[in-house]
Amino acid sequence: MKKPVRLILAVAVIGLAIWGWRVWFPGPQNAIRARLLKLARTVSVEPGEGAIPRGLKAQSLGDYFTADVVINLEARGFDTRELQGRDELMQAVMGAMQHVRGLKVEFLDINVTLDAGDQSAVANLTGKATVEGERDFEVQEFNFKLKLVDRTWLIYRIDTVKTLSQTTALRPSQVPVGL
Amino acid sequence: MTDPTTNAHSFRPPAWLRTALIGRRPKRMLARIVVLVVAVFLARAYVVLPIHLRGTSMLPTYQDGGVNFVNRLAYARSEPKRGDVVAIRLAGQSVMYLKRIVGLPGDTVAFHKGHLLINGAVVEEPYLNSGCDWEIPPETLAPNLYYVVGDNRSMPEKLHEKGKTPRQRIVGRVLW
Repeated sequence: MKKPVRLILAVAVIGLAIWGWRVWFPGPQNAIRARLLKLARTVSVEPGEGAIPRGLKAQSLGDYFTADVVINLEARGFDTRELQGRDELMQAVMGAMQHVRGLKVEFLDINVTLDAGDQSAVANLTGKATVEGERDFEVQEFNFKLKLVDRTWLIYRIDTVKTLSQTTALRPSQVPVGL
Repeated sequence: MTDPTTNAHSFRPPAWLRTALIGRRPKRMLARIVVLVVAVFLARAYVVLPIHLRGTSMLPTYQDGGVNFVNRLAYARSEPKRGDVVAIRLAGQSVMYLKRIVGLPGDTVAFHKGHLLINGAVVEEPYLNSGCDWEIPPETLAPNLYYVVGDNRSMPEKLHEKGKTPRQRIVGRVLW
């Protein structure tokens, strides 16, 4: 085998090994990203999806949040709403899921900042929601705060980031971590 | 009896197809492709960012569904100016706001009877084609903050995304 071919093969094998290592043994940041992407898929509703699968998906949301989760929603054109506790959140999501034909939720540009002990983290991200059959979509920036509970990252707080009402610039590394 | 190995080697695509796919000199062709891919990647990351416009907040200047580019180097040697249309990032650059800068750091910005007031004086805005009745109390911008708003003032004020943004969130100015 020629030298350049061997070199290319070696680089490919090393790249594959690094990729495999990251997939099977993800660091905390990748684990949080993967978990949030899975959450986005869970709250999405396929067009024509039955009421029972929707209900089951809403029930499975409990796996992502702490019991005392707090969610502050400040969407443009709507009143501010605060959800307190996992049960209230699941009821609200279940109600919303039953009333939409289809909904695609995406979490884009997930920036994860871990605290010094890797026990809690803040994920700054852009949420994008597209309702089935509508051309336009809604976007909103959020800060998800998570903590490690029994080796699982659980969300304990979600805050809406008012992108165009800021008084200072916060980079992900400057976002305070913790309660 | 035929030898399958010989048969496999004897198959060669027509010369014109080989030339079209990999060129006359494959090594040079490969080098050109690598250079092109790297150049496109670098240009997108550091020079211009293609964007697909969605929404109506910048009507009539920018139509829903249009295509444009963000010049990332526009503010490499100068600061944003009043009237510039800029892209503002959210958590990242997958989705951005496209807005016009109307207030600069230190300015006092207000809307009265739909007119933009900067430091108490009415500002002419030739890019608008609709009036509005917006009332927004005066607010002085801190250093590093810019006030941005869309050109479509016919929208209800509460439904129009606008306000202050730090300099760090401004990705660049649109090309046209």
